Amino acid sequence: MRSGRAESLLLVGPAACLLAVVTAVPMVHVVWLSLQERTPFRPPAFAGLENYLRLAADERFWNALWNTVYFAVVSVALELVLGLAVALAVARAGRMRSLVYGAILVPWAVPTVVSARMWEWMYNPEIGVLNHLLGARINWLGDPVLALHAAIAMDVWKSTPFVALLLLAGLQGIPRDLYRAAAIDGAGAWIAFRRITLPLLAPVILVATVFRTIDALRVFDAVYVLTGGGPANGTETLSIYAYKVLFQTLDFGYGSTLAVAVLAVTAAATLVYARLLGGGTE
Amino acid sequence: MALLTRRRTALALGALALGALVGGCRAREADDNGIVVFRHPKLFGDPGPFDALIAGFERASGIRVRRDALPASSDEQHLFYAINLQARSREFDVLALDAIWVAEFAQAGWLRDLTHLLPPEHGADLFPGPRESVTWRERIHALPWFADAGLLYYRKDLLDRHGLSPPGTWQGLMDAARVVTRQRPGLHGFVWQGKQYEGLVCNALEFVRSHGGDLAAAQADAAARGLAFMRALVTEGVTPAYVTTLTEEPTRVIFGRGGALFLRNWPYAWRLLEREGSPVRGRVGVSVLPHAPGHAAAATLGGWQLGVNAHSPRPESAERLAAFLAAAPAQKALALAYGYSPPRRSLYDDAELAAAQPFIARLRAVLEAARPRPVSPQYVALSQTLQAQFSAVLTGARAPETALAAIRRVATMLQTR
Amino acid sequence: MRRLGAWIGLAAVVLWSLAPFAWQVLTSLKPYAELETLPPLLPGAPTLAHYHAILAGQPFGQLMLNSLVAASGATLLALLFGSLAGFALAKLRPPGRAATLAAAVTLSMLPPIATVSPLFLLTNAAGLHDTLAALVLVYAGFALPLAVWLMTQFFRGVPDELYVAARVDGCSAAGAFVRVMLPLAVPGLVATGLLVFVFAWNEFLYALSLTASTASRTVPVGIALFPGIHEVPWGEIAAGSVVATAPVVLLAIVFQRRVLEGLTAGAVKG
Repeated sequence: MRSGRAESLLLVGPAACLLAVVTAVPMVHVVWLSLQERTPFRPPAFAGLENYLRLAADERFWNALWNTVYFAVVSVALELVLGLAVALAVARAGRMRSLVYGAILVPWAVPTVVSARMWEWMYNPEIGVLNHLLGARINWLGDPVLALHAAIAMDVWKSTPFVALLLLAGLQGIPRDLYRAAAIDGAGAWIAFRRITLPLLAPVILVATVFRTIDALRVFDAVYVLTGGGPANGTETLSIYAYKVLFQTLDFGYGSTLAVAVLAVTAAATLVYARLLGGGTE
Repeated sequence: MALLTRRRTALALGALALGALVGGCRAREADDNGIVVFRHPKLFGDPGPFDALIAGFERASGIRVRRDALPASSDEQHLFYAINLQARSREFDVLALDAIWVAEFAQAGWLRDLTHLLPPEHGADLFPGPRESVTWRERIHALPWFADAGLLYYRKDLLDRHGLSPPGTWQGLMDAARVVTRQRPGLHGFVWQGKQYEGLVCNALEFVRSHGGDLAAAQADAAARGLAFMRALVTEGVTPAYVTTLTEEPTRVIFGRGGALFLRNWPYAWRLLEREGSPVRGRVGVSVLPHAPGHAAAATLGGWQLGVNAHSPRPESAERLAAFLAAAPAQKALALAYGYSPPRRSLYDDAELAAAQPFIARLRAVLEAARPRPVSPQYVALSQTLQAQFSAVLTGARAPETALAAIRRVATMLQTR
Repeated sequence: MRRLGAWIGLAAVVLWSLAPFAWQVLTSLKPYAELETLPPLLPGAPTLAHYHAILAGQPFGQLMLNSLVAASGATLLALLFGSLAGFALAKLRPPGRAATLAAAVTLSMLPPIATVSPLFLLTNAAGLHDTLAALVLVYAGFALPLAVWLMTQFFRGVPDELYVAARVDGCSAAGAFVRVMLPLAVPGLVATGLLVFVFAWNEFLYALSLTASTASRTVPVGIALFPGIHEVPWGEIAAGSVVATAPVVLLAIVFQRRVLEGLTAGAVKG
């Protein structure tokens, strides 16, 4: 089913225009800023690649990069697994489906800042619910290594509905007949899952993975409210670092360079996923 | 094809019309008819007294004022100001500034010079700390509004029971904590703010300065001793390890439910600790923070100042509002209504204030000696390093000397910006 | 036995999703004195004081309305533009569609904190400072990459033959799109719409930066204004978050029941 370029252009046009104005123009601005020296304390100057050289030698950048990548890889992996489990459970919910649907959406629906404060309170070593229920005195947010994992747990709780929702919509698009045919042929549940469900879900899994990864690599609010990037910068993600450089150090040039670095890392990750999960773009 | 185009065009026009309608409805009222816009974080309590104060100003001066709230988080305010002032916004005139921003905003050209609003005779009425924090390059760029300083809260009932008096030295605090907590397993010795944020810098500088140290190289040894003491509080079990997650409110809550013997916090906590239903009501004492022998106590100065937007279209009216709010009568009214401490000495001799807010009157000595964080345009940038390094010392990841050396390196680098 | 396993699994999922939020609800009902103690888990003397405080003391109704307008506007715009573009990319298969999708995704890869200033300047220049229209356009723009991608995937799942058959029967392209393709992509539309709506409803950074007054302020910013300089009113924050979350969840339940179940019941799949 081919059609004229003109028609396609007309249909894609509005989306393209809005995207151009709201995301492309600012992106160009940010890239341009990343090549400048821009602070309110001095007149602007062109810096060329100086900011990027500074980035390569910046230990704090590499620390933030490691934190961010670790955070993204672990949380997205967990979200995929749990999201699939949730989607499968909801798909079989029968009569209670609407209520369950509403229930699983709750973590996603709570405002991020509120959810971060909520978890901060739950992680409180003395009067937090978690330690109360576990009967322990774990210093969840006060230890650099634990804190990052605590942030991951919170993000997984918050974002699994996103993945579950997409996978559920994908599951609902799989024709029932395929499963019936498989059952008639004597295939068990696991085989049906591997041979029918997973392959047909692959495109949706790719979208969910890519967008969750993009969001996880840019994570800011959730971690910042929870830990402020600490202790000892142990949970400082790239976005938190960029925020501090932009709006605390007021170094708009280098802050933009950090933002471009996030863009580069995310683009690289997306390419990898597209190769691995493939077939989503033709 | 034709139908598609028409429908889409109609929708596009509709969206544009809606946008224009909504956009146009937001008349640029602030620019016309001279309303002075004042942005500040919420004052906790009944808005009535503040409204009445402003209404009085409006009547007396003929200037209309609109107050717009800002989120309480210092970071969010700084973000808001940075975005707006960098874009030379004319949308607001008077701004409430954190104690550490004045030099930065002044250097960036975002604040009007207010030196003429604070002649020497009025300036002499201010505590030295607030006066220092609003001065940059010999010019005044903001008027002090509220003053805050670190205090030591303690459970006087527990100290009395063991025959102890409020500690004057840090060692005294540690000893007292050990004695009392030995008898009470669930009680913490000393809680303070150790999360990686600005509050940690306030606390750490108190430890550092009360040992005779500071951030400059000349006082590095004493500073290292101060930081070592800070870490020792945790390793000796006087302060719980999870101090690295604590900010003002969680520490106030812990102390308020009887969970700690000593608390370091700002004056605001007093009201909450002494209110109806508080488990520690009537059992709390307040004193100056301890110090190391031979050195003075060193509370860190906090608080708020009033600045005027350099690009305000109504500078004279804005200055009048700022001057009004920073003058003694307004400050007294706000102290009476909200319990925020004024930065003016003379008010602490005021009989009415002493009667209605006896706690504030007792703060005079502390505020007199309160020391601001380094007053410099680079402070907010440096603070990121201060927070991270102090946090590293507190978790035991770094030795105090290494952390201080790193701080000096970054400070030098920032000087050249 | 399998049924029991499925029920246990479902219960676990629901419990895990709701537990922290249930904790928020409990907190919102606790009187001031009980807010900072643990145990007890349950409020001893449940009170609606916090709800009263936020609804009476603030223009919370106005904030909810603003959030509703901003989120609905952004969702409708994103779904409209997104489904048109998705249809074109999935069915009309223009050349360069892979590059288009890749470009769309790339545009969403910058951290939002970096583009706040440029967008602030842009919306000011367009005369949209402190308006809901600015939020609608910005949110829709941010949500478009996801919307376009998702709609492309979901349209791809709709068999071509149905579209061709409709055209052969004399439908215009628009008619075929509206009467045949859209209904079959409804699960995708609902899922996408919900995700965009929730994103816009909860967005904080741009709502804080692009709006200045109550007339266009949204709920997340409103909640951020509850605390005083040091004081944190946990009860009110909990009440505020319950009030902010409830409409979204109800919306989801309604959509799930009405739209999805109604449709998948009668769908004919090849």
